Amino acid sequence: MKDYKYIGKDVIRIDALEKISGAAIYGDDIDFGANLLYAELVQSTQAHAIIKSINTSEAQKVKGVYKVFTGKDFPYKFGLYMKDRYIFAQDKVRFVGEQIAAVIAYSPGAAKRGAELVKVEYEALPAVLNQMDALADNATLLHPDLADYPHVPWFFPKPGTNVAHWRKTRKGNLEQGFAQADYILEDTYTVPRYAHCAIETHVAIGKFDHSGRLTVWSSSQSPHTQRHLFAEALGLSHKDVRVIAPHVGGGFGGKAGVTMEIIPAALATKLKGYAVKLRYSREQEFINTYQRLGVVARIKMGVTKDGSITALDHKIYWDAGAYVEYGANVVNAVGLSAIGPYRIDNVSIDSVCVYTNLPPGGAYRGFGYSEMLFGLESHVTRIANELKLDQVEFRRRNAIKEGDLTAYGAKMNPNGLVECIDRVQAAIAWGKKPVSTDPNKLIGQGFSLFWKAPAMPPNASSSAFLKFNEDATINLIISGMDIGQGYQTVMAQIAAEILSIPPSKIRVETPDTDRNPYEWQTVASHITWSSGNAVKKAAIDAREQIFALITRVYHYPIDELYLEDEAVKCNTDSAFILPLKDFVVDGIMTSDGTFKGGPINARGMFMPEFSSTNGDPETSQGGHPNVHYTVGAAALNLEIDKETGKMRVLKAALAIDAGKALNPDLVRGQITGGLLQGLATVLYEDMRYDANGKLLNPNFTDYKIPTAMDVPDEIIPIIVEVPQPDGPFGARGIGEHTMLPAAPMIANAVEDATGIRIKSMPVTAEKVAMAILAKKG
Amino acid sequence: MKEINLTLNNESRSVLVEPNEILLDVLRDKLGVKSPKCGCERGDCGACTVLLDGQAVRSCLILAVEAEGHSITTVEGISADKLSALQEAFIQFNSFQCGYCAPGIILAVTELLEKHPKPTLEQIKESIAGNLCRCTGYTPIFNAIMSLTKEEK
Amino acid sequence: MALAHEFDYVRPQSLTEALQLKDKYKDKARWLSGGTDLIVNIKEGMMKPDLLIDIKDIDELWQIGFNSGKLSLGAAVSFSELIDSEDVRQHFGMLTDACRTVASTGVRARATLVGNICSAVPSLDSAPPLFCYEAIVHCASVDGKRDIPIDQWFLAPRKTALADNELVTGITLTAIPNSAGVYVKLGRYGGEDLAQAGWGVMVDHNKQYRIAHCALAATPKRAYQIEQLLAGKELSDALIEQAIALIPQETSPITDIRSSKEYRLHVSGVMLKRGLQAAYDRLQGKTVEAHKLLGGIA
Repeated sequence: MKDYKYIGKDVIRIDALEKISGAAIYGDDIDFGANLLYAELVQSTQAHAIIKSINTSEAQKVKGVYKVFTGKDFPYKFGLYMKDRYIFAQDKVRFVGEQIAAVIAYSPGAAKRGAELVKVEYEALPAVLNQMDALADNATLLHPDLADYPHVPWFFPKPGTNVAHWRKTRKGNLEQGFAQADYILEDTYTVPRYAHCAIETHVAIGKFDHSGRLTVWSSSQSPHTQRHLFAEALGLSHKDVRVIAPHVGGGFGGKAGVTMEIIPAALATKLKGYAVKLRYSREQEFINTYQRLGVVARIKMGVTKDGSITALDHKIYWDAGAYVEYGANVVNAVGLSAIGPYRIDNVSIDSVCVYTNLPPGGAYRGFGYSEMLFGLESHVTRIANELKLDQVEFRRRNAIKEGDLTAYGAKMNPNGLVECIDRVQAAIAWGKKPVSTDPNKLIGQGFSLFWKAPAMPPNASSSAFLKFNEDATINLIISGMDIGQGYQTVMAQIAAEILSIPPSKIRVETPDTDRNPYEWQTVASHITWSSGNAVKKAAIDAREQIFALITRVYHYPIDELYLEDEAVKCNTDSAFILPLKDFVVDGIMTSDGTFKGGPINARGMFMPEFSSTNGDPETSQGGHPNVHYTVGAAALNLEIDKETGKMRVLKAALAIDAGKALNPDLVRGQITGGLLQGLATVLYEDMRYDANGKLLNPNFTDYKIPTAMDVPDEIIPIIVEVPQPDGPFGARGIGEHTMLPAAPMIANAVEDATGIRIKSMPVTAEKVAMAILAKKG
Repeated sequence: MKEINLTLNNESRSVLVEPNEILLDVLRDKLGVKSPKCGCERGDCGACTVLLDGQAVRSCLILAVEAEGHSITTVEGISADKLSALQEAFIQFNSFQCGYCAPGIILAVTELLEKHPKPTLEQIKESIAGNLCRCTGYTPIFNAIMSLTKEEK
Repeated sequence: MALAHEFDYVRPQSLTEALQLKDKYKDKARWLSGGTDLIVNIKEGMMKPDLLIDIKDIDELWQIGFNSGKLSLGAAVSFSELIDSEDVRQHFGMLTDACRTVASTGVRARATLVGNICSAVPSLDSAPPLFCYEAIVHCASVDGKRDIPIDQWFLAPRKTALADNELVTGITLTAIPNSAGVYVKLGRYGGEDLAQAGWGVMVDHNKQYRIAHCALAATPKRAYQIEQLLAGKELSDALIEQAIALIPQETSPITDIRSSKEYRLHVSGVMLKRGLQAAYDRLQGKTVEAHKLLGGIA
């Protein structure tokens, strides 16, 4: 393997100093001076209702209130993949918490006082609060006009029902596959909704200046996508819309696409000259951003007695909420991939996106794969156990390999799945679980595989500008977001490696769509791969410009030149060493006193030109919707108190095939962080709604996210590197994947320890204890 | 409006506040100190942690008028000359990702190390149990703090 | 985000001045000490006082004193001070256990035990030790002083015996010689949580027991029937089973978002059993980590 100077090294994060010294600026930290107004929302108290009237007169009278806006001021639709939302509710509300009006005031307190005085009169409609009810015949329709909604060509809505999208994948012959099976297991698994819980809530500030130009500062994973949606919805030219994205205090998918940001953007257009800020409270953050979708999954799997999977029928019904403009693509992604990382010849997948009167579902770290894998990896363990086969051996036997066909018929990319299995098996000492000395404690082992592909439009692209400064430091100008994963650092490492400049001499700033080149979004764990390719190309472009200049001035052949230690060198003339700082801006002086060259400004672009969504709507065969999959394996030892049900992760091992870990410590950071986030979803988190569709736990008092007291005793992060041929230095994304195996692993360990199979998340201490009690009789 | 006098990061400051203004808001909006962050507004997340007379407290649950005559320290204050050994360790161990919780955690641990220069893992966990971090999984934070206890011989 | 509600703020320098103000405003004024509960309530519109009376400048409310078996705590004493007090740890171990489960360090630095009992939530962690140490709540008003025993303090959820012109100036607890106690708390995970059940269990050398619980009824309560059953007896599996059988009579748990009634009842049995054992262990000088008694991540 090639010896790199910066790639594959634990380079210190380039954003460390600003984040650790308190200097880093987040959205709410920006000062706007005297012309700042504050918006407070009036939100629906009804899950489904006709808005009969909105009375704003009392609110208008509050001292400090400037204006009040309602839906009639903004009759515009928007949406990422399907235009099914309005900026404010129009004639109807479809979930508790939906925005109906905004009170604009000179202080946040006045805006709040005003919002409390807006009176909304409703006429209640029947509400459907789960996907199975919404699918029933005669269920209330959330969107009677579904047929008219514009959407991407790879969505298949069913007008006249609550089905917003139905992804069907068919491969082989399902009937024959089940006929070949010696054993068939069929069961249902359920997963509730979850919240991202970035510690920074959403915030956005819109300003429409007197020249008619809209600027929006927003805490966002998607500045360019936001610009595009704002321009489309508000009828502005892209050149007149500018999105500035400062540091983001955690994303996890929650700040992807557009949710509340469109509100201050739209409000600004009616408040010329002012800046208007909307900052979500924690409660609003829970209620009215995207939530992770709920799932009911019916799995039927057939296997031969020697342990080969012959057929899989996987039906997944998604509670996607009142608007699915982003969430329907979660459904789509899983509908293409619900075989898990297995080689299965006969497959049927139905992934059904269902409207419900709950808040909109959307992107959440893992993009549906966590929900799908809870059922599938529970099922795989059960079926192996039924056959009296070791579940790890069963997984190894059926693991998908390079060149095997995915569910939609494309070839699987090179991958180290088997190596991941082997290394996790060794790290956890599979089959040799410790025995507790405490008679109240049981110990179980759980195992799970995982995989996930980026879910992107086939033309999702990245680009990069790179400019040299006089001292040969670099400004790398890119538009991905460092949402904590270390994107800026890794991009700097890529440029550093190509240009022989230490990453500490490269500045990467958060983006401004006016000045930074296009980036689709920082989602899908695609950014290292996609933006990394663009940065690499930009760096190569810079290098080519440098070499061309040197050749022009010194006449060395280009193929004899190379960069080392911030200088150009020549492999046929060891005396030639020209420091970059001598010429990358000022050029090179020649004998007649003239200068050649000039500032080195480079650019790079990447679009996966092989990707396509042209699969058959009935089978999904034919296209190449996913660029590649990242795979891995994980296992843990779980101690369970058999009286209280309380659980403690004694040891967990997680192996992921990063292709090439560009910065191994950052990869390990994703493993420890992602694994804990995943464990929380299975052990104690979940969103609870009452019978009227109101969220009961919109706060950290009752939506428990892990604290320092909730960390596994030991986590063993394992990095496997089977290069991705089209990845920068072989890299592929790993950010979301690290939380994927957590839930099935816990359910599998609980069964291993207690003999009890829990098929609904979360697997809480209460559920475990009560199941043990029930089993005792 | 009432004028209050306090010491902020070792400097005397005075500021006009209403009785219902929250210390966090006044620090951020009137005194220009931005490192204490708002995360939950009810004391659950710890992002707004500041040191009040050396003690880590929730600035989202304190009225600005209560700070009259007291000393407030934020991360800007402890970074003024050079980073503390704790901050350096946070960088070395990648003990932050998005960075939003980092100022609060650094202050909570600063108080801990003041009281217990060689804390146990249990003490470390207890000291930051109320500072939520959604990114790191906490282990890199523990490692950074434990490294300080080892170096000190 | 700023508070929508507007109010006045005063910081009286003497108790007399404070009591006069409160007498004038009655329930339109709220006492402010740590503020960790009050500010949240005002933010969320649960309370709309006209006046906040900050008691932190009143010196006598800051005292924390241990004398001939009695612990006196002023109204401004924070949980952190209690946790750090060696006297409290030695003589009122169950109180230290309970205080360490309240919120987190950054909140405990300001929050007070007195404020805690004034909130009177059913899940009040500090209540079981206060019952077991037979706390006396000292109240004052312009009309004079009165003492309220803890078992007459909690009237209903969020309702106490305090009159609307009164201030709790402090609490006195009485140590039991040659005894040991433990507070066992059921939460949903290792981090801070509101109790789904809390049991304070105390035993002395004469096998006399004091037992109290929280989060299992409308108010925290002492479990007198269980105490009487156990009184003077050596613990045995059979006796513990008899004690556990009394739990449904001693409690009236509900199902809510945090826990089902059934789980609360079931784990209460485990808590009582392990709590009794842990109290005995402490009595014999063994180290008990109260937060680890129920297993799980901690």
